[in-house]
Amino acid sequence: MSWELVFFAVFSAAMLLTGIGVVALENPVHSAISLVGCFINVAALFVMLGAEFLGVLQIIIYTGAVLVLVLFTIMLVDPNKLPAFYVGKPMQRNVSAIVGAILMVELGVAIVTRVALEQIGPHTNAMVDQMGGNVQAIGQVMLSEYALAFEVASLVLTVGVVGAVVVGLPNRLGALDTVTMSLGHSRGAEDAIAAGPKFESPMNIPAERYVAPVGERKVVMTKDPDKYTHPGETSK
Amino acid sequence: MGDQPIWITFIVTFVIMIVLLTSMAYTTWYERKVLARFQDRIGPTRTGPAGLLQPLADAVKLMGKEDLIPEAADRKVFYFAPMITFITAILAAAVIPWGGTIELFGQSVNLYPTDLNVGALFILATGSIGVYGIILGGWSSGNRYSLLGAIRSAAQVISYELILGFSLVGIFIITGTMSLKEIMFRQHETISFGPFEIANWFVLSQPLAFVLFVIAAVAETNRAPFDLPEAESELVAGFMTEYSAMRFALYFLGEYISMIIMSLFASTLFLGGTSGPGADTYWPLGIMWLVLKAIAFLFFYIWLRATLPRFRFDQLMGLAWKVLLPLAILNIALTAFFRLIGNGQVF
Repeated sequence: MSWELVFFAVFSAAMLLTGIGVVALENPVHSAISLVGCFINVAALFVMLGAEFLGVLQIIIYTGAVLVLVLFTIMLVDPNKLPAFYVGKPMQRNVSAIVGAILMVELGVAIVTRVALEQIGPHTNAMVDQMGGNVQAIGQVMLSEYALAFEVASLVLTVGVVGAVVVGLPNRLGALDTVTMSLGHSRGAEDAIAAGPKFESPMNIPAERYVAPVGERKVVMTKDPDKYTHPGETSK
Repeated sequence: MGDQPIWITFIVTFVIMIVLLTSMAYTTWYERKVLARFQDRIGPTRTGPAGLLQPLADAVKLMGKEDLIPEAADRKVFYFAPMITFITAILAAAVIPWGGTIELFGQSVNLYPTDLNVGALFILATGSIGVYGIILGGWSSGNRYSLLGAIRSAAQVISYELILGFSLVGIFIITGTMSLKEIMFRQHETISFGPFEIANWFVLSQPLAFVLFVIAAVAETNRAPFDLPEAESELVAGFMTEYSAMRFALYFLGEYISMIIMSLFASTLFLGGTSGPGADTYWPLGIMWLVLKAIAFLFFYIWLRATLPRFRFDQLMGLAWKVLLPLAILNIALTAFFRLIGNGQVF
């Protein structure tokens, strides 16, 4: 048994286990960690196939940027207060089943045509070496053959960025919005301290501006911290 | 990987690991000494001559401390989060070249653990995994300050990683490669500048990228003035508030290793790596030049910490997205433009 096979077995087993972990683990943060492990193992498989560039990009983009943002969001959510995932959402469930099936078929077709029928694509190892390596080969193909798809992808991303700005801009919705966001960790100080001044602010607030806290803490979203107004005030 | 047997690679890697771990300990000593001088103190003196045994004393102390785990913590994640930071920091050393291939005891030895053809991106990739150590450590502590530190860190590292990557693109355009070894050897060449022969260091042809890289590297390693994730005066050490003993030490040492790696990385990319007088003839001289350049960078790091106050968080993000990113894109455009002129494809 060659070393290559051993490493392949280790990486793919780890990938499958962590992949199962993503859906099986109950705490969303644990699922996200599992997904990180899955992506790193996928990158390892890419490197084993001689596609170092893809492997490194997989880590930088998906593990290093996309998943950090996902983790960023779910870290702020109390897992005990999440709505049950499947209950009352048959639509969501069916759509994800169908999309999953389509992707599975796509993958199957790719494997059958490339491997079983031995219709290997034009970019063999020798071809890639001749083009000067992985990076050069991907660059050339992406900016010539798939130039249109490349440009469309960048357009879609731009639309995404603009959309995020529009949605995230509080001033758009009329007056300054007061958004409630729980900064509390699931099992943070809130649960650890049985009784006591939970919601008191440590800052000195003048008596006339003081609003007794009710329930969760209010967070005011402003574009510029210098223009911060206390939750009790209205914006100018 | 060259034509050397695998055991030589193991030996080279082993030596580099030992040197890295020792130098990491002594970077803490160096920082204390230099910082003390900046503040008109003398720093550690009691442990050994000039306090040289201080890192050893620190290590013994930290190992002897109790490893506390807060009741609100997520135990498993809390356990392994510091290891992520530490391991990924060390991993980046795998692609730093310390010279070419040399003859030693009748064997040809490569003075680099591996020459990955995407070496520069590999270092960025290890950095982007390293941030998980901070985020997960902060989250799993079950503490507000830690969580805030983790959130800040996530935003900061993503923003500055972008600039770090963009500042390298100019070099990739000039050299046409991402292998650190090839980038370094391109700088061993000389170019004629009027009557003078000067070294082809990329700091001369890519000055803007160099400035951007240094700023982003400081932010990427969470050092002052960009140490917002820690910010002891407002977040009581942020993500590592709840950590103690060896787990705290792992974060601490991971940060210092990142500093060393970033210094070596910057020296390799912009200051010619091992290039210097006599380096092409005698390989130990080359290593010496690289080490000297890295030490100069480390001094700069400490200098910044001693001089500049911490940024406010919105200033930090504003700097990244409104100033540095446009400059980085401008740098790429200019480099590409001059490359085309050089190739005679424009005008």
